[in-house]
Amino acid sequence: MMSETKELMVRDLKKWFRSPAWLFASLVQPVLWLVLFGNAFNPTSMIPSFPGSGAIKTQILQSTFGGAPNYITFLTAGMLCFLVVTWAMWAGGPLVTDRSLGYLNKLLVAPISRTAITFSLLLSSILKGVVLSAILLVVALILPGGLVFASGFGVANLLGIFTALILLSVGFLWLFMMLSVRARSFETLAAIGSTLGLPLLFASSALLPTASMPGWLSTIAGINPISKAADVIRYLIVQGALSGGVLSTVTFDLVYLLSFAAVCTLLGIYASNRGLRME
Amino acid sequence: MFERTPEVTSSDHFKCTDYLFEPAVASSDVKMNTIIEARGLTKVYPPSTRAVNQVSFSVSEGEIFGFLGPNGAGKTTTIKMLTTLASITDGRCNVGGYDVRTQQDGVRRNIGLVPQDAAVDGDLTGMENLVLSARLYKVPDEEIKRKADELIGLVGLDGAAGRLTRTYSGGMRKRLELIVGLIHEPKVLFLDEPTLGLDIQTRTAMWDYIKGINRDRKVTIFMTTHYLEEADSLCGRVAIIDHGRIKALDSPNALKSSLGRDILEVELPEGPDISAKFSSMEGVTEVSRKGSVYSLRMENSGKSLQEISVGLWELGLEVKDVRLTRSSLDQVFLNVTGRLIRDEVVDNADSLIAMARAERARN
Repeated sequence: MMSETKELMVRDLKKWFRSPAWLFASLVQPVLWLVLFGNAFNPTSMIPSFPGSGAIKTQILQSTFGGAPNYITFLTAGMLCFLVVTWAMWAGGPLVTDRSLGYLNKLLVAPISRTAITFSLLLSSILKGVVLSAILLVVALILPGGLVFASGFGVANLLGIFTALILLSVGFLWLFMMLSVRARSFETLAAIGSTLGLPLLFASSALLPTASMPGWLSTIAGINPISKAADVIRYLIVQGALSGGVLSTVTFDLVYLLSFAAVCTLLGIYASNRGLRME
Repeated sequence: MFERTPEVTSSDHFKCTDYLFEPAVASSDVKMNTIIEARGLTKVYPPSTRAVNQVSFSVSEGEIFGFLGPNGAGKTTTIKMLTTLASITDGRCNVGGYDVRTQQDGVRRNIGLVPQDAAVDGDLTGMENLVLSARLYKVPDEEIKRKADELIGLVGLDGAAGRLTRTYSGGMRKRLELIVGLIHEPKVLFLDEPTLGLDIQTRTAMWDYIKGINRDRKVTIFMTTHYLEEADSLCGRVAIIDHGRIKALDSPNALKSSLGRDILEVELPEGPDISAKFSSMEGVTEVSRKGSVYSLRMENSGKSLQEISVGLWELGLEVKDVRLTRSSLDQVFLNVTGRLIRDEVVDNADSLIAMARAERARN
């Protein structure tokens, strides 16, 4: 199964590289998000300048943004999560296209595992997500008034960030893969993806802390896996070396993400194999 | 004056086929030669659409076997069942020595499919499409390059192998699809409407490639078509399928002589009615007359023509004109289904695909 998964993954990556518009959009999108969201939603910029305003801004950041030195630092974690979730939504797109063009039949008559067809798209999407996340991190660092890592930030933190991102992405990948194997047209996928995308983002701690949300929204945001991943990444960026209460919160959130990924994987494999079975 | 008799493809395949029905041959030999065997094959799509209904046939190794029928007759559904894409509602089927219901992997390893619509990825080059398919079928790496080059040469795509296939014309694309289906050297190649939407020159070129592959590479071909000329020119045997059932099954020539009719029109100078004389000639089954033009329906036109010319010579009659209308599958189709295949309204999907292909060809 591994060899055919690899071949089909390479096919998907080739298609990505060969579509200039798609490649350009995927590279520019995260940067646009970071710059535009970072300036439009920045709560500290809403405070006018007056003597002592600097201290108030610092206090806002300290109390509501978990000690982030600026809003971009807070936002980067959320944008990383949004990036991988967006990729997860479209990962099944090639499957829908293959089905409507007829190429899927070509794959289904080949002596390959059905799971290889979905797995290859999953792996290729994770790979794209990791590469684009790395680019987003670099861009956030370069931006003026941008991302600042805490003093204890090291390789372990970086690994932690990508672990959270991959777990989040695996969960959403399988959720949307279940849809993609059923969808008979790309429009179905586009309609569902574009309807869910932004609400998922807003109902999470990706853009703003949940503490400032009304109760019902903060409850939803509390169970949204995007919040868990964003929180983990944020702690890893802002706190550097973790200890005590923060460490147990991060551990709990990672276990939450792991369970989310595991449950979605089990459901996803079952549902997508059913979706690819014979007519 | 006389129409060319359609060329019969590879006469030795006929022999294989023939001894299927020859009781003198031991049954073990028959088994060895049969590569597709379907008995009572039925497909019901819920709630109650009987797309294929109790279809039985066998195909011998090396044969080109065709399903001829209008759109919606059950041709594609049959291919889908034979190639493990659709489940079998009832009946049994064996392809390449494997049971289609229980040994799908064995079937899949031994067949190639060229579906009606896109069988290659437009974002990959011709060569990449071939290599991807080869790898999926676990063709050893060291053989892939050689096999791919050979097949590319076979269908004359040498200059285009490095180009993205979305830049191909309809005909080039079809040729590539054909060899992508062959890269793993399948025992049986399934072609679903191999020339749908192609113009007539491209279509005849495709026929030559298909014949060549069947002859030189010893690949059994199971194909569907709704073009009568295609079935006539390619297939050793043809099953006429309509509303999910096989209405007739034989070689095109046998079908034409049993279910079609060869008609010879003889124009003589004004004179007495000599219909009775024609009727008494060997091989003439029916005579009708319109003025001095006699229409003779013949059983076996080759032999009958000889009889008739001898007869006319003996009568000492001066012949003003003769015109032979060969029996066609068109007539056979009319005879077994009660309507002409060309009367069928072109299915939406088919015409869309044809339009899309034409569009691609233009760009």
